[in-house]
Amino acid sequence: MAPADKQSGLVQGTLDMLILKTLGLEPMHGYGVGIRIEQISQGAFQVNAGSLFPAFRRLERDGLIRGEWRMTENNRRAKYYSLTAGGRATLRREMRDWRAQTAAIAMILQASLGEL
Amino acid sequence: MVILRRLISGFRRLIHKPRFERELDGELHAYLEAAIHRKVSAGMTRAEADRAARVEMGSIEAVKDGARDVGWESLVEAFWQDMRYAARLLWRNPLFAGTAAFSLAVGIGATTTIFTVANGLLLRAAPGVSDPRRLVDISRTERGQPISNPLIAYRTYLDLRERVSTLDALYAQQGQPEPMIMGKGRDAERIFATIVTASYFDVLGVSPAAGRLFGRGDSEERGASPIVVLSHGFWKRRFNADPSIVGQTLQLDGEPFTVVGVASEEFRGTSVVALDVWVPLSAKAFDNGFLTSRMPEWGLVGGRLKPDASIGQVAAELDAIGRALAADYPNESRGRGFLVANASPIPPSMRLVAAGFFALLMALVSLVLIITCANVAGILLARAAARRREIAVRIAIGAGRARVVRQLLTETLLLFLLGGSAGLLFARAMTSLLIKVLPAFEVPVALSLPLDGRVLAFALGLSLAAAVLSGLAPALHISKADVVTGLKDESQGPSDRLRVRNTFVVAQVAFGIVLVITAGVLGRAMGRVVSIDQGFDSRGVETASFDLSQAGYTNTTGLMFARELANRLRKMSGVQAVALADQVPPRGMSVGPLIAPGVAPPDEGPLSGAWNIVDTGYFETLRLPLVAGRDFNDGDRAGTQPVAIVAEAGARRLWPGQNPVGQRIQRQAMGADALGGLTTLEVIGVARDLRLVTRGGGPPPIVVYVPLQQKYTPHITILARMAEGQHATPAIGAVLRSLNADLPPATARPLDDESGPVQVQLRVAASVAASVGLVALLLAAMGIYGVTAYTVARRTREIGIRIAMGAQRSDIVRLVLGQGMVLVLVGCVIGLALAAAAGRLLTRLLFGASPLDPVAFGGAVVLFAVIGLAACYMPVRRATQIDAMEALRYE
Repeated sequence: MAPADKQSGLVQGTLDMLILKTLGLEPMHGYGVGIRIEQISQGAFQVNAGSLFPAFRRLERDGLIRGEWRMTENNRRAKYYSLTAGGRATLRREMRDWRAQTAAIAMILQASLGEL
Repeated sequence: MVILRRLISGFRRLIHKPRFERELDGELHAYLEAAIHRKVSAGMTRAEADRAARVEMGSIEAVKDGARDVGWESLVEAFWQDMRYAARLLWRNPLFAGTAAFSLAVGIGATTTIFTVANGLLLRAAPGVSDPRRLVDISRTERGQPISNPLIAYRTYLDLRERVSTLDALYAQQGQPEPMIMGKGRDAERIFATIVTASYFDVLGVSPAAGRLFGRGDSEERGASPIVVLSHGFWKRRFNADPSIVGQTLQLDGEPFTVVGVASEEFRGTSVVALDVWVPLSAKAFDNGFLTSRMPEWGLVGGRLKPDASIGQVAAELDAIGRALAADYPNESRGRGFLVANASPIPPSMRLVAAGFFALLMALVSLVLIITCANVAGILLARAAARRREIAVRIAIGAGRARVVRQLLTETLLLFLLGGSAGLLFARAMTSLLIKVLPAFEVPVALSLPLDGRVLAFALGLSLAAAVLSGLAPALHISKADVVTGLKDESQGPSDRLRVRNTFVVAQVAFGIVLVITAGVLGRAMGRVVSIDQGFDSRGVETASFDLSQAGYTNTTGLMFARELANRLRKMSGVQAVALADQVPPRGMSVGPLIAPGVAPPDEGPLSGAWNIVDTGYFETLRLPLVAGRDFNDGDRAGTQPVAIVAEAGARRLWPGQNPVGQRIQRQAMGADALGGLTTLEVIGVARDLRLVTRGGGPPPIVVYVPLQQKYTPHITILARMAEGQHATPAIGAVLRSLNADLPPATARPLDDESGPVQVQLRVAASVAASVGLVALLLAAMGIYGVTAYTVARRTREIGIRIAMGAQRSDIVRLVLGQGMVLVLVGCVIGLALAAAAGRLLTRLLFGASPLDPVAFGGAVVLFAVIGLAACYMPVRRATQIDAMEALRYE
């Protein structure tokens, strides 16, 4: 699990947020979530099954996402995940925290001696 | 909230495991299908897409494992999985599992047995009382030290009752069982009563099985109409559990007592003696001094804590009361204090000694447990060698080292739980056996040794600790195994495993030798106690005790009767000499205050003497020589100058450098006897010291003998020196019949029987040490055999080469034997050093044991050498029969 995260270059602990965000756009099955993250990041992040499924279990257990078996566009059965109310709230909070953090990090990284 | 949700979802997953598994399978299948579909859309062939998708996904099982590992429930599952796997492995190796579990059962069982006994005697109150945790026992201390005689004067009990505020209520009971005669004449029966205060049952919270128990409502005044409560056992045995006995009267010591009720079945009193009846103090006639003097040592005191009080508060308060009493009544209470402890069948002041004894036994059986653990660890290590390949495969396909260690520890754990449960059954059997084989005491003994929560926790904790101790080293050891060499499966393992096994064998031999030496030292000490020069000749002397007051004899008729009894007995055939005495050595003396005019008492408190009342001929009968002065004679009777004979050591202490004959001493009240003021006695003789085996601090009391004619006692013991092979019981029976006495028949017991407390302690310790020593010996033999056989197997090729190169049989024997015997030698050296250290401790705990007994030490070494040689025999034989050609082809 951990090595997979490193391979895909994902910052530790952000996978859950990315999944929540992806599912926030529309309900999606497992493979679709992986592909969607890869597409949106323009191939920067590749999330494999070994990372995705434990993350789904974690989020499902904490009541942030909910699974439901449906037919895909190709007429196959797949488990579609969607956000719960709690999941939406968590996503909002995590996005807010993330923006605050990255902004702060960006400021630190841009700092030069004259501004201090 | 989150934790609760996780908990619930975890349980749901555990319960609906198959459904979750199906769902995960379906999802992964859908994932794979979607991936393949996408690759096909991108232009791959179906077969190419299929392969690519599978490569991308990796091992499906690993993905599933990752998903399963989310949440705490996976740990439970993994544990359960490990357990099942371990159970299968053990099931497949019944010989290994059986041997290991059996030896563990012995080790854990023996330890648990000792703990159960200590628990029953020291840590819990006697059964049948309510809320036992709030009950306390109060003992006496002298000069701040616990004393072996914990009894408190009745007057002091009243002081305590008046002054104590941290206890709800107090009770007291007479320290010695009170023998009473039930019925009359020949049908009379001797029973034992506990004399208690009226508050006894109320404070303890005992419930009746029939009728009522006496309580605060019943008068503590003298002469209140006598009542009695029967014990359940006595009621069943004597009255067939007939409930109509309540309200009837029994003749006890010639007085009518009304039976008011029967105590509950569980309640058999607060100590280890189980008596027949309880009689309130008001029904017993005491002399006046008993009620007013704080000197007599009478009874045991107990109480119940107030709801808001702690035992520490009680101890503090009792300290203050002790000081106040010493200030208020310096003559009687100087140097005296109190000791309080949670209620248990052993009085607080004796618990330290008892605890020391149990600690000794515990140390002995713990050694066996350690040896067992070393043995099992050795077996586990040997098994581990056989499993190197399996473990290496598991590590190679990605099992973490921690996971492998956990799996191996689980196996050990299962083994130890099996051993532990079997050990618990073993302990159960041992304790019930113990209760059955208790030596027959004069007074019935009741031991309640339940396997309570504390014992269960002890056995479980012990099993777990032992499992971790003996499982960890092998588990860590294998998990370190190098995957590559492991997979190559060379039968030659790394040599440090052998080193670990050798260490275990050395430990087994060392601890085994400690046990065997201890058993030897104790056994020889036991022989020494019996053959010790006691100062008198106990062989052939038999004793029988009577209570003349029970048969209605008075001071004058009693003395005449007793002397007539002795006279007639002297004429019986087989009887060589007869004497009468109050007490017989070594069972005890009445300790009481002693005043020597002109001799300043020590600062710590009044002098005390060990008093014995004897009739003429006592010293002759015991062959206890007088070293100065004269013996008592018929002229020393009531109305003449009171005389005394003092033992050598006491005389030296009182009048160093002076002639003791002609000196004067004064006697005050003894026990619950009359307090007739001071009697001045003239010392007429000095007797040789009794070398009694006693232990403990402080100077021994001053032994004083006074003549029966001047100090009557209704407690008469007949001492008869019998011709060889003759017993006194029939002779005494015949004399009693010829005297037409109203006394119940008595059984004579040999004076040197081995039921003295020291002998019993030594015997118990020696037999425990001997039996665990035997187990240790067998285990050590198994260990030596195992390691030598393993070496031979490992070095088969090398030995083959040696033989091919022309090595003689004797060289091979030397090679293999050397390997095994070096371990024995190292173990022996360590063991001897340990035993020498342990011996010093032993002599402190048990009298008569000599720490560096050459016979015990030498014998143990020889024994282990023989065992070591025997254990090496088979491997050596195998080694010499190795066929060089075959061995060279041996893998």
